[in-house]
Order: sequence, then structure tokens, then C-alpha cells
Amino acid sequence: MRHIVRRELLDHLTSLRFALTTLILVALMVTNAIVHLQTHRERVQKYSEQVNASQTELKSRTQLYELLQKGPGKLYKRPSLLAFVADGGDAFLPSETTSGGSWNLEGFASIWAMGVPRLNMKALSNLRPTAVVIDWVFIITYLLSFIPLLFTFDALSGERERGTLRLCLANSISRPALLVGKFLGALITVLIAFYFAVLFNLAIISTESWAQLGGADWGRVGLIVLIASCYAGIFIAVGLTVSAITRESRLSLVVLLLIWVTAVVFMPSTLGILSTKWMPSVQTHHQFRMAKGTAFDQILSDFLNKRETLKERHQSAGTSQEEVAEVDTSALEIQRAFVNKDMETRERLSRQHLAAQSAQVLRARQITRCSPAAIVQYALESMAGTGFNRHLQFLEHCHLHIRQFRDFIVEMDRADPESLHFIGIPKGMSEKLVSPEAIPMFEDKLTFQDTLNSAIMDILLLILLLGIFLSGAFLVFLRSEI
Amino acid sequence: MMFLTLIRQELLTHLMSARFFAAVIITLLLVVANTFVLIGAHEERLADYSQKEAVNRETVAATPAYSVLKLKVQRPPNPLSLFSAGLETRFGSDIDIAFNSVPALSDPIAEGKSDEEYQWTFNRVPSLSNPGAPLGLKNPYLHLFSQIDLVFTFQVVLSLLSLLFAYDAIAGDWETGTLRLVLSHPVGRGSVLLAKYIAAMVCLLLPILMSLLLALIQCSFARSVQFGTDDFLRIGGIVLTTIVYLSVFYLIGLLISTTTRRAATSLMLCMFLWVVLVLVYPNWSRFALNPVGDMRAEKLSANQQIAQIREEADRERDRFLTSSPLKGDPPIFFDTFAGTDFFKGGGWYLGDFPRVNIQIDLKNTADPLVTHLRRYYEFAATLQIQNAEKVSLVGEQLVAQISRRQAQWDERLMKLSPASLYTFATAAWAGTDLDSMTDYIRAAQTYRRTLIDAFHERDAFASLQWFSTNQGTVDWSILPDFRFERADVSINAQRALPELLLLVFINLVLFMITFLVFIKIEV
Repeated sequence: MRHIVRRELLDHLTSLRFALTTLILVALMVTNAIVHLQTHRERVQKYSEQVNASQTELKSRTQLYELLQKGPGKLYKRPSLLAFVADGGDAFLPSETTSGGSWNLEGFASIWAMGVPRLNMKALSNLRPTAVVIDWVFIITYLLSFIPLLFTFDALSGERERGTLRLCLANSISRPALLVGKFLGALITVLIAFYFAVLFNLAIISTESWAQLGGADWGRVGLIVLIASCYAGIFIAVGLTVSAITRESRLSLVVLLLIWVTAVVFMPSTLGILSTKWMPSVQTHHQFRMAKGTAFDQILSDFLNKRETLKERHQSAGTSQEEVAEVDTSALEIQRAFVNKDMETRERLSRQHLAAQSAQVLRARQITRCSPAAIVQYALESMAGTGFNRHLQFLEHCHLHIRQFRDFIVEMDRADPESLHFIGIPKGMSEKLVSPEAIPMFEDKLTFQDTLNSAIMDILLLILLLGIFLSGAFLVFLRSEI
Repeated sequence: MMFLTLIRQELLTHLMSARFFAAVIITLLLVVANTFVLIGAHEERLADYSQKEAVNRETVAATPAYSVLKLKVQRPPNPLSLFSAGLETRFGSDIDIAFNSVPALSDPIAEGKSDEEYQWTFNRVPSLSNPGAPLGLKNPYLHLFSQIDLVFTFQVVLSLLSLLFAYDAIAGDWETGTLRLVLSHPVGRGSVLLAKYIAAMVCLLLPILMSLLLALIQCSFARSVQFGTDDFLRIGGIVLTTIVYLSVFYLIGLLISTTTRRAATSLMLCMFLWVVLVLVYPNWSRFALNPVGDMRAEKLSANQQIAQIREEADRERDRFLTSSPLKGDPPIFFDTFAGTDFFKGGGWYLGDFPRVNIQIDLKNTADPLVTHLRRYYEFAATLQIQNAEKVSLVGEQLVAQISRRQAQWDERLMKLSPASLYTFATAAWAGTDLDSMTDYIRAAQTYRRTLIDAFHERDAFASLQWFSTNQGTVDWSILPDFRFERADVSINAQRALPELLLLVFINLVLFMITFLVFIKIEV
């Protein structure tokens, strides 16, 4: 068997297709690295400037009420160092949180609530022609599926046509050994070209000190390369299967190319949008705003009613100090309830709106996982810390931070004995100055664990697919006539 | 006679082959699935369009005074975007029509400022109004899935198919010896080549026409997509371009097949060339090349010019105010905020201009101050209109220098690949290219002018209703209708012609070279 692998390898390595493969892969990888170095630095700088500005502003707020009213400032998504691996539509996805609107009413104001983060439509609607970003995802999903097919379409059908297959099997070589030899030969050839290109890419990226990868990042890159190898393996297995079925290598090629076009070019996008046709439709932005408006009107009218009754009580109440004090407290209480209810409702509605949208995208992505190209894309995005999964993680981090931030305000207020403890209105809160160091600051982090957790399903799916197609190739080849 | 036999034989071998059958089936499947998706997307855009129209109408109807009119016009979704999406599905659809800003393709002046900064800067004179978000999917996150139009299907699948027809046309025959056999008959080498070409093109025509027919049938079932007679002519243009494009790929395959003489080598070269031309190069050139480069200096100088224009306007205003009894205090009809009744005070202020903090009884039209106010606002509005036009001149130049030039250079570089030539030619036919978007902007600009003229006619700028609401609501029936008509077919054809001719030229050159090589090879 080692003999077969060596023969196949030698055959492939000296062929024209290997030279062309290496050339294309290296050219693309080098472009990817150079453009990454040119453009990514600005993004990182912008991020740190924005975070600094936001934090300085936050630290300048010394009143507890002001903190509550203006919120934790803008929270920013940290650009991933591995953005060159997977772009993931990050220019289009929101990179910061937004506040969910505000109002002023007769002396008191709304308190901060997190709104629906804005998508950057400008990334989508500029005049430049559309094109796919040349990241590793592009290189891997398109080329690492196309090239394996070119190496395998005639592996069995070609030899059968020439009659060498019969010759081979007449010697003491078993069919499984031959198949494994073919598989490994093609896989190793493709991977040699790919690894060579990857080395080029990483070497160029490591020349700049700011872009250098840390330990965890190297771990991620390692896993990404493994995912890519697994993906190439799947297509080699598919190629061998079809090649074993068909009599003619020309037919085998056409069938393979059609499979490729359908699975790699069309399925990841068409299937995604197609599947949403049968899903319950989500709220449009307009509907969401209307819903928010009605909810607010409801809360406002409740509040106004309560205030009216309180006014009546105030008038009917005697002059006894206790009663007046009680009325004052309940006035504060209904104000507090109003402001907080408003904040909670706005936040709840935004969350629901977002959750419905995300759920639809996630379901559509489940369905596109029929195509191995989509699986690899999602796995790579998760590993690189970009794309939709990362976006959801970022929102989750933001929610955690906001909860922490509000707890901090309540804590601080509780610590002040002079405060009336009505969180949400200026009169009812502690007026002690807050030390800037004590305010919790948001820092967007992405651990290796996070990335792996969201990618693990896709990785397992890929391995499963590889197993299925390999055993399929075995089954077909063992039963085929020579 | 021999020629016809050759064609028939070639045709039969193609048509009877399993590979042809498989390819046609897959093409049709892809076309049907994609048309279904595209019709759905078009319907969503139409729904979005009519909903936005309704909102716009409501807003206008509820507007109490001339000066606070917030008018938006929209471009109706183009049904031909099914064939070639081009910029249609990405370029914004609604534009603000305002006195103090002129519509433009994009707004390079405001770029880099976040939306919020925008909303809260009060003393900003808007300079250019550029289209907002594109009409879209109900769930904007679905933009993460790229949409595929019919032209893309042809571009990818059929070009692959034509290469598969071509790669062994000569090399295969040479290897098997049939070429020698054929040429032993009294038939010229040229006619052999031509026979192969004609047969392959006829075979390729079949999937094109079938999928076109299927797509049109699907469209006719969906009520939302309606094509006019002109649209059918445009579709005809798209089909013609498709044929010319596929012929380029067939000839590339034929040339490689003739020069390499080994089917296996020819195949590899064809496949890699396809990957480069269709898949890699268009994306690579857009991704890696930025021909326009850094335009920060130009933006800065434009900003300075605009600041100058504004200063000049400020001076002119001050000159006017010194001779007016309104001088001194800035005029503002800022009323006491009382619940929802915004207009109780009876007035509204206008942008950046000085505000008067004086109690004026607007009901008393004989009040001399009211006359002054009317004169002031007439002056202010005219000044703002002039100002906006001056700013727009600077802005347009910047748009031409930055956004347009960038897009055009991207196109030019991408057009080095026939696949992109095809994309841009079909976009021109469908009216979804950059020029058509420019047409839309022009229409919006013209509309703004007619609107201003209509206002002048009614003397709206000098009327009390310009700023006051206690004269009854405004009669908005004076608003002229806006309807964007797509350019004529002949203009579409004109725009598609350069690319189409280039494709034809490439065809001729390729055929000539193939012919020259073929008559020289030894059989």
C-alpha cells in the first residue's frame, strides 16, 4: 500500500494540475495576507480609539443617576485578529450597541435601555460592484473542493478505460488498499499545495508586529487547517465514489462538476433564503417601531391615570404631615415604576425583535448545512471569531455587562443611607459622587473555549460526512466491475 | 453537403451524451429554485416599497406647514433585477427631497460620521441627500446569504458546460484518430472547425432557452412580476449577450484543445482557466486593487469649500437682518412643550437661521412683524436653495471623483475577465447598472426643481403657511407626482453595446487564432 501511495504521489506531484493548483493557492493566499495587513490595522486602531473615548466619557460621569440615565456608553465589538481567515460579513454586522431611544417629559427623563444594534447598510449599498471577499473561507470552500475533484475524477474511471486498473488488481493488491492509496495520494497532494500556500500567508502576516498571533490564535489556526483538510478529504471521497460508478471519465467529470456547482456555489445561499419561505415571517422594522410606540403609549397612559388619582388623593388629603409625606412617596414610587417599566419594555421588545430575526437566520443556516461548503464556512467563522455566531456572542456579553452595570448602581445606592432608594428618578437616588475606578468597564473578549464551542457541532458534522463518503466510496468500488 | 453531415454528427454526439442530459437537468433545477427565491425577494421588495409609499403619503398629509415638509421619493423595484440584480437590490431606493439639499449618488462629504452624530447636530446644513437603505428583505440579517440572479447561473454553469464541450473537440478527435479520418474526406479544415462550433452553440442554446422559458412561466404565475413589451426586448438583449458570452468560452476551450492536442492536458488548462476567469479574477480584482486610492485630501478641500459657501450665506443673512426689524434676537417659534401638541405656538423654525424670541401674535396678520417674518423666510428659503445648489456643485464633483470613479475603475479592471464583461453588459440591459442609478438621481433632482417651481408659483415661501399652522393645514395636492421611468430600451442597448462589442471582438480574435493554429497542425 505504501507503494501505491508513493506512486500516486509521484504521479500527481509532477503533473500540470499540481503546478497550477499551487500557483493559484499561493497567489490567493498572498493577496489575502497583504490586503489584511493593509486594511486591518485601521480597524484595530479605530476600535481602540472608540473604546477609549467611550470609557473616558463614562468615567466623567460622577452622579449615580446620570450613570443610570445615560447607560454604560457604547459597547464595541473587538475586531478579530483572525479576520483574514473568515470575513463573515463583519462590515455589515453591527459592531456596537445602540441605545433604545430616549424621551424627556415634564422634568423627568427615560433611563437607558439597550436597543436593536444597527446593521451597517452602507457596507451593502455602495456603488462598487459586488464581489466576494478573498479570505480563507473563499479559498477553502471553492478551491479546496474544486481541485480535489480534478485530481480524482479519472482516478478509477480513467484507469478502467486504459485497462491499468485490471492490471493493478491482477497483482496482489487488494481493492481497499488501492482505494486507500488513491485517497491518500490525492489528499496529500492537495494538502501539500494548500499547506504551502498557508505557510506563505502566515509568514507574511507575521512580519508585522501588531498582527502577530498569540498562543490561542495559533491553536485556532491549527484547527482551521485541520477543518480544511477534512473538507478536502470529503471531496476526494466524493470524486472517488463518482469515478468508481461511472464508466467514462468524461461523464464522471461532468457529474462531479455539476455536484460541485450545486453544493458549493448555489446551495449555501439559495437554500438559505429558500428555506425562510416556509418559516413564520418576522416583524419588520416598521412593525417593531409601531409595537414599541403602542407599548409606550399604554405605559404612559397608565402612569397618567395613576398620577391623576394621586392628585385627587393629594387634594382630599388633610394637612397632616404624615399623609402629605405618604402621598409624596407614592408619587415618587409611581414615577419610578413608570420609568423602569418603560425601560424594561423597550429592552424586552428589542430583544424579542432581535431574537426572532436571529432565530430565522440560525434556522436557515441549519438547512444550508446540507452543503459541506456552508458547514466549513460556519466552522471557520466561529473559529476565527467573526460572522453571525460571534455577533450573537457579542450581544450576550453586552447583556451580561449591562446587568452587571445595573447591579453596580443598585449596590452603590444601597450603600448610601441618605438615599431614598428609588432607582430611576433623580430625587430618589444617592447623590454621592461615584469614583471613576469603581464603574464596571466593558471589555469584549473571546476565549478559545467560546470559539470552539460554537464550532464543535460543525466540526463533528464534517467528520461524519467524511466518514460517510469514504465508506460510500469503498462500498461502490468493492462492488463495481472492472 | 459534407458540412451539414459534420454538423449533424456533432450535434447528435452532444445531444445524446449523458453529460449533456445531466447538465441540462441541473441547469433547469438551479434556474427554477433561484427564480423561486428571486420572485419571493422581489415580492418582499414590492411590499416594502408600497408600505414606505404609504408612510410617505401619511407623513406628507400630516405635515402642517410648508417649511417642515419631509418629502421622500422612491424608485419602484425593477422586475428585471431577477435576471441581473446589479446595483438594483443594493442601491438605496428612497431619497429625501428637500429645499436645502440636492439629491446625489452618494454623500462622500458625510462619510465617516456616524448616524447619531448626524441626527443631533442641529446647526448643520444638509449638503447632499443620498439614497437611504435599499428596499429589502423583511429580515435584514438574511443579506448574509448572498442572492444569486439568473445571469449568475448562466455565467457559472453554462460557461463550465461550454468548456466541457470544447476541451476534447479537437484534442479528443486527434487522439482517437477520427480527426485524420474526417479530414481524409474532401472537406476543408475551416468547415470542420465551423461545424463543431455551430453544433456546440446550438446545443448550448437549448438550456438557455429552456431555462428562460421556465423562468418566464414561473414569473407569469407570480402576479407581482410583470414584464412589458420593452422588458421582453431587454430580455432578448440579455439572451443575445449570453450566447456571445458562452461562445467566448467555447472558443477558449477550442483554442486550448487545438494547441495542446492531449485531451487530459486540455481539460486541466480549461478547468483552471475557468476557475481564474469566472471565480477568482473578478473577486480578486475588486478585493485586492484599489485604483482610486486615498481621497482624504480631496474630501478635505471640498469640506473647506463648503464651509466657505456657508460662511458667505451667513454673511448675506446678517446683511439682510441689519436692515430688518428682526435684528438682534434670533427668531425661534419654539413653543412651550405641551404634550403632543407641538404646534400650539403656531410656528416652526427653519434650520440654521437666527431665531426670534419675541411674542408675535400670528393670528393678527396685520402685525408688521408678521410681514417682516414672511419677508425674512422668503429670503431665507431662497438663500438656502441657492446654497444647496452651490454645495451640490462641489459635492457632485466629489462624487464624480470618488464614488463614481471608484466604481468605474472597479468595473474596468473586472472587465478584463469575460465573465465580468457579461455581468456588466446584462446589468446594462436590465437597467440595474450604475448609469441607470444615475438616471434615477437625475430624475430626483429634476423633481426637486419642479417642486420648488410649484412652491414659487403658489408663493409658498412668502406665505404665512410657510411657518405657521394656524392658517389651516396646507393643501398638499399641489405636490407634483413623482414617477421614475426606466430608461428606454434603445438607451439600455447603447449602454450594453461596448461590452457586447468587446465580447464579439474577443470571439472573432479567438476564432481567427484557433483557425490559424488548426490549419497548421499536423494530423
